[in-house]
Amino acid sequence: MKILIADDSRVMRQIVIRTLRQAGYDDHDIVEAEDGRDAFDKVKAEDPDLVLSDWNMPNMTGLECLQALRSSGSGVPFGFVTSEGSVEMREKAADAGALFLIAKPFNEDTFKDALDGVIV
Amino acid sequence: MTAPVITQLLDEATVQEIADQAWSALVGEDEVLVPVPGELGPDTRSSWVEIVGPWSGTVVLTCDRDTAEELTRALLREHAPAELEPEDVDDALGELANVVGGNVKAVLPGPSFLGLPEVGPAPRVTSPADTCRVDALWRGRPLTISVQGTPAPDADPAPSYENGVPL
Repeated sequence: MKILIADDSRVMRQIVIRTLRQAGYDDHDIVEAEDGRDAFDKVKAEDPDLVLSDWNMPNMTGLECLQALRSSGSGVPFGFVTSEGSVEMREKAADAGALFLIAKPFNEDTFKDALDGVIV
Repeated sequence: MTAPVITQLLDEATVQEIADQAWSALVGEDEVLVPVPGELGPDTRSSWVEIVGPWSGTVVLTCDRDTAEELTRALLREHAPAELEPEDVDDALGELANVVGGNVKAVLPGPSFLGLPEVGPAPRVTSPADTCRVDALWRGRPLTISVQGTPAPDADPAPSYENGVPL
């Protein structure tokens, strides 16, 4: 699978990649994006199988990216990895078409719970 | 209606618990924050995120510069370069403030908005009564996490005028 990881923090992208591996999801191609706009462009250019996106990013938020993708006809599986995991935000994410929301801080078990069945 | 102060909404134990979870997940499973105050040196670095809502303020992480570099290495682990770039340190410190701030926001009344992380000299504490501060040691190095209120605009003193023109 090709997995696109969108986060404006390079350090956090590294932590997400490391946690994916710790959760057993290694041997996948990883593409990185540094904000929502970059993620949108890379979904179009790279055609990933899954997007793991931060919510709060400059230029375009993760939610705006998801909404733009759906408006453009993309149905790419999309999940959030964000420091905000309130009920309100989970509802917003689900309403926009996200499969899951992983709240930071997370560990490999959190990833397994959210990604089991999503990553094959 | 008067806006609540932070000490009515959360206590030091809650901030410590949030920080402990962030440290354990991001810095390392065995990494602990010992709730003991230490003395920061003269060369500190701070990162913070702003929360705007029924309570508004910032969540500020402050540590010595060399502690910030050690934290960055701990977060990056094997991906840490031999020579850290200042942007890496700012990024790592900002992300720690972001995760702690996001979880502080979650326990405050909403709806609230969380800003993007910023890094620089520590924002000034404008109201000690509207501040909840945790002092801790990580690997024996001191750091502080301060949840500090921002005065509401209508709480500012009336501006000075002379001949009807704002100064």
